[in-house]
Order: sequence, then structure tokens, then C-alpha cells
Amino acid sequence: MLIRTPKNWALPESAATPESVYRNRRAFLKTLGLAGAALTSRDLLATTAGFPTRVNADYRDPALKPTNYELITSYNNFYEFGTDKADPKPNANKGWKTEPWTVELTGLINNPLKIDANDLVMKMGGAEQRVYRFRCVEAWSMVIPWDGFPLSKLIKFADPKPEAKFVTFTTFLDPKSAPGQRGSAIAWPYFEGLRMDEAMHDLSFIATGIYGKPIPNQNGAPLRLVVPWKYGFKCGKSIVKIDFVAKQPRNSWQVLQSSEYGFYANVNPTVDHPRWTQASERVIGAGGAFGTRQKTLMFNGYEAQVADLYRGMDLRKNY
Amino acid sequence: MSALLEKLLRAKLTIWVLLVAPAIWALKPLFSPDPSDADPLKSTLLHLGLIACIVLAVVLAFTPLRVLWPKWGVAQALNRHRRLVGVGAFAYAILHFTAHVLHSYDGGFGTFWKEIQKPFQLIGLGALLILFVLTITSLNAAIRWMGGKAWKNLHRLAYVAAALAAWHQADARKVFPMQVVWIFGPLAVLEIARIWKQRVRRDV
Repeated sequence: MLIRTPKNWALPESAATPESVYRNRRAFLKTLGLAGAALTSRDLLATTAGFPTRVNADYRDPALKPTNYELITSYNNFYEFGTDKADPKPNANKGWKTEPWTVELTGLINNPLKIDANDLVMKMGGAEQRVYRFRCVEAWSMVIPWDGFPLSKLIKFADPKPEAKFVTFTTFLDPKSAPGQRGSAIAWPYFEGLRMDEAMHDLSFIATGIYGKPIPNQNGAPLRLVVPWKYGFKCGKSIVKIDFVAKQPRNSWQVLQSSEYGFYANVNPTVDHPRWTQASERVIGAGGAFGTRQKTLMFNGYEAQVADLYRGMDLRKNY
Repeated sequence: MSALLEKLLRAKLTIWVLLVAPAIWALKPLFSPDPSDADPLKSTLLHLGLIACIVLAVVLAFTPLRVLWPKWGVAQALNRHRRLVGVGAFAYAILHFTAHVLHSYDGGFGTFWKEIQKPFQLIGLGALLILFVLTITSLNAAIRWMGGKAWKNLHRLAYVAAALAAWHQADARKVFPMQVVWIFGPLAVLEIARIWKQRVRRDV
């Protein structure tokens, strides 16, 4: 018999806000009128469906200590809102609207459609929480409790045709709201892709929240990709289109500098970025002002789960 | 107004204050980190590098300012302090380097050793080495010992250091940082104007 010992983070059912109260939250805010508008415009919450979330105990390694919420939501690479890591937090909250939000499922699938982000979350059966390692290609790392749903659920729902071999993710394009998109640092909109088996892997996740709260704009509201064994840039933010294609696509960073960024971008301590080593990483939020480093793990610590996907491949060539 | 500014800039104390003050801003993250700063040491590292680049660009602008406006008192005042400000650029560069060493410290120096071999780091190291040589030869005794002509030629390496610093700064980022243009662009314009003016004078 399986006996599950509740961990200290496993709140009892009674602690959760009753669903009816939660669902009425928006209506309540609307009735507040002006006061409500002032409240929400400061910290716009885009996908509120699926909260509160249940912790998925299978993805809650007690050895992982989640990074402080403030740091996760203040230190962001989101070039649409500036190239400094402190830029996205202020710039993505100056009137950029992430609600309502429509996502398009298209390409080689039997069930193409355009759907509201909240409706999509409900269709996926709500949200669950998983704690993943997050490793940036710039050699820093965090531990993030993501809320959302497995990408495989969405793919099954889209029902791909046999000739669909890759899944691509397109970020929003709105230069009026996103100052970074007025420059030409990257060929906007941001674009990413996964091989079908990678996308179908149980670890691949669509996040709609962090720490049980709807995902803030600067972290990629309302929907973003999370692929924990790959470098962070693979995790496209604020997705508007999921396209199923037959040929391997070229992702944004690969287009910009293919000698430095490849299609796979698997976390690999033995393959250096041309301009810095990937053997170790700064641990965000640890070690005081001077900080600290730890050794980077193969596939970011998910080797046992994902190594099979790349059996027989030369990971030096397919970086 | 200009006279007052000139008087102020003639004083060594003013230059010292202007050189030391940015260090307070640069080192602040280490002593009172912002709660939303994910990597205070990285902030300090970037701030120190930025200041080193600015100080280097500023000190190199002194000469072209004097050549272009020889009668301007402010330019004359600034040119009294070329060596002091140059040493200031080295001081920030070596602090920036020290921050790099600390930032890559992994319980040992394995990460540091790997990082320092990367092209953009070697370029920065080249600039640092030049500034180091120029600093140790910045005393009057060194000028006397080397002879004015040889000393001047050696110290022209400062332009090479600036070019390397700009390259290092640009190559350290994933996309080209515009600050390189704001920092080194005006210097480049002044230098071109100065060379053009000196050539015209020679032709006459």
C-alpha cells in the first residue's frame, strides 16, 4: 500500500480558497469599478483560470529550494521589453494587455482553433504546480514553482496529423506595447520550436502561473513554454500561436547567431558556449551579495528522464 | 560660469572627487543589495566595467578638446589631469577584473581559468594589461627615464586600450549594446575632427 506523507508545503484542502469565491474574483474586481481598475492595472494578471493549483508531488523534489518570488519576477530576459534583466518588470507593466488573450492552434493538426487563454486552461483540466530547475544559457540558475499544464495534453487535444514532426511557438508581436520590438535586436516575433517527441515528453509544460499566482507579464503572461532540460531561451513567452510543422524550424537565436545557439539547446556542462563556460552556474538568490556557484548537471538534472530522446546523437554538433 | 568651472577643474581635489564618487554607486550592491537584485556582485561587476570605459573615453577626449578649442580654459584645465584620470581608468578596470574573479569563483578557479580564455575576456584582459603598463610608467621619474618621445609613443597605446575596451564591452552581450556608441562614439567624433584639423594645419 502506498502511504503518502504530506510535506510541509502540502496545504490541506481546507486552506484553499473555495472555488466559487475564486471564480467570482473578477466579477468582484469589476464591481469595484475605478478602484478595481487601479488595482489590476498595476499588476495585470492574465490567465486566472485554474487557480488555486494542486501541487504535483511527482515534480516536487524536496532537495530543490525554490528561488524567492521577488527574484524570479525581477530578473528576466524578455528582450521585447529591454535587454537589461531589470527592464521587463517595469516595461511589461506599462499598459501592455495580456487579457483577454487568444492562442491559435494551427498547422498539421485535425483540430485547428483559436481559443481564449482562460478557456484553454479549463479545457486542459485546470492547472497543477511543478517545481523545476531553470537554467539560463548565460550560466545562472533558479528553481521555479510553475503552475500550468503538460504540453502533451495540449498536443493530444490539437490532434496532430502523422506528418507533423515539430511544434513551433510564436510570441506576440506588438511594437506599440513592447519597446524592444521597435528595435531590430531580434527578427520579431520571437520564435521557438521543439521536436515532436520532446514536446510530448511529460516534463514539457505550459506555464500560466508562478508560486500559485497567475504568471506576471514580465515572466511571459499569459502562457509560456517551460522545457526544464533546455536553456531558458527555448521557453518562448506570451505565446499567440502554436504551429505544427513537418520540417525542423530555425528558432530566433539560431537565426541571429547560429554558431552560438542551436536548435536543441540542451543544458550540457561539457559543451561550452563560445563566449563562456557552461560547466558551472551562478545560483540566483543564494550566497549573499557575493553569491555562489554550483556545478551544472547534464540535461539540467533531468538526464534520467530525457537522455533517451538523444540516444546516438552527437551533442557537440547538435548543441 | 566657464571661469568658475575652469577654476574648479584646475583643482586636483575636484578631479579626485569626480573619480571616486562613482565607486560608491558601483559598490553599493555589495553593501546594501536591492531585494530585487538577483546577482548583486554581477551588478557591481557591470557598473565597474561601465565606469572604467567612461573614464577611459573621457580622459582620451581631453587632448582633442584642447586641439580643437585651444583657447578654451576648461579644456586647458582638464589637460592638467590626464595622467591622474588615466590612472583612475586603470583603477576601475582592475576592480572590474577583481569582480570577474570573484564572480567566477566556484570554490576554486576552474571556472575563472576557462572563462579567461574566451575571446571577449582576452580582449578585455589586453586592455587591462595596457592600462597597467601605462599606470606604472605614469610617474615623472618614468618620463625622465624613458625620454619624452619614447614615453609619448608608449602612452599612445591608450587608444588601443580604448578600442579593445569597446570591443570587449560590445562582445560581452548577446546583442550589441548601444551604450558602446554613447561612450566611445563622441570620442571617435572628436578624434576624427582633431586629426582633420591637424592635417589641414599641416597642409597650410
